[in-house]
Amino acid sequence: MKYILTILLLTGCFDVSNAQQKKAVSFEKKMLKIPAGNYKPFFVTKSNKPIKVAAFKMDESAVTNTEFLLFVTANPEWRKSKVNRLFADSNYLRDWESDLIIGGKNINIYNSPVVHVSWFAAQAYCKWKNKRLPTVAEWELAGNAAPKNIKYTSLTEYILGWYKKPNLPVLPNIKTTYQNVYGLYDMHGLIWEWTFNFNSFISSGDSRGNTEDELKAFCAAGSINVVDKTDYAGFLRFSYRGSLKGNYCIANLGFRCAKTIE
Amino acid sequence: MAKYNIGLLLILNLLGCMQSSNKTEKKITASGRQAVLSDKDSMPAESIFHLTDSFQTQENIPFTLSMLKGKPTVVGMIFTHCTYACPRLTADIKNIADSLKGEKEKVNFLLVSFDTKRDTPDRLNKFAEENGLNKNWILLHGSEDAVRTLSVLLNVQYEKDAEGNFSHSNLVSVLDKNGVLQYQKEGLEAEHIVTISTIHKLIQQR
Repeated sequence: MKYILTILLLTGCFDVSNAQQKKAVSFEKKMLKIPAGNYKPFFVTKSNKPIKVAAFKMDESAVTNTEFLLFVTANPEWRKSKVNRLFADSNYLRDWESDLIIGGKNINIYNSPVVHVSWFAAQAYCKWKNKRLPTVAEWELAGNAAPKNIKYTSLTEYILGWYKKPNLPVLPNIKTTYQNVYGLYDMHGLIWEWTFNFNSFISSGDSRGNTEDELKAFCAAGSINVVDKTDYAGFLRFSYRGSLKGNYCIANLGFRCAKTIE
Repeated sequence: MAKYNIGLLLILNLLGCMQSSNKTEKKITASGRQAVLSDKDSMPAESIFHLTDSFQTQENIPFTLSMLKGKPTVVGMIFTHCTYACPRLTADIKNIADSLKGEKEKVNFLLVSFDTKRDTPDRLNKFAEENGLNKNWILLHGSEDAVRTLSVLLNVQYEKDAEGNFSHSNLVSVLDKNGVLQYQKEGLEAEHIVTISTIHKLIQQR
């Protein structure tokens, strides 16, 4: 009798933890598999061949304010009032009313991408989720996939059209632009996104690079060239990344996480 | 008696459940530790010693940046397979060290490698020997994450190419004894007069 009860109780215990797990899983963001591919770096040196990108997983959409609220709730050092300026400038979570209250009374940004977050904050969030930020190569490979549910002439045209538009007063929700063939939402058209190695080497000029100064400032800078000179949208993304610092918190800059496939 | 036993079992069971859920919680906080601020009060907010990642020295000793505390530090980020710029950056920092003469001992010289794959502590040890870098020099190997985070803090740009070599900016940084960035100079064979005078000033600071 005793044994049976024990077994019953043990099963009960497992059931509870299973249920907890299921509950936790339902809160988890869906991740999609991005197949392996080759990424041609936008700026290349003579020795720089296309980078092989292994298959990886990526969040289907950008991290939202609600999701980020769970993070700051669990990690008090990332709250507005407590964060170290070294890791996030004074614009950190600027749209939030206070440490644990997201928007002002009249705006609903709960399901919009979290913006005004620094690279350090994005890194910490992804680590907390047992994920990581995508590399530039991964992000570009994923972002260059064709849209599947909108009409467009070319991805570059689409992106440039978005760049031309002024920022909306309230950032729209996630999943409001387009979905690409991998199933990823809003890779362009909603926000810019942090990448792990955003501070990758970038030349200051387009540069045949023969000047003494450049050779001295950068290792291998002499042979820098641009792969596709018509990819103006790509050029803008690279310039933008090159202008960032890790603690910058900017109005249209958010992130999504990635994960290595073991 | 049987009742008590069952009650006890129930409690034990519950405790078991609670313990397991506690464990997972601990795991989560540990993995989100990126910016946990260790002895926050004694460190200025801008100190890069807030970076808590662990590195390994050329002697394979675990090392955190806060261990640099107490002396000003001259930092360069390098990789040892670099044929063009890096030996020169190391040479530049060596020249800075030499010009400090007797005061050299009052300064840390730190080289951190981008090359998390090839620059093992052993390799860094050899590099230190080959370049005549004495005990004042700390050469660090770290995880990709730790090295990238440090590069972001120091505004050093770098990128690995398909061959496993690195393009990178050449930056000499000077930290005060509390790990606050005080001066940076970009470029190889740059004029380091201000770098040196900054170090002199920082040595005087109490």
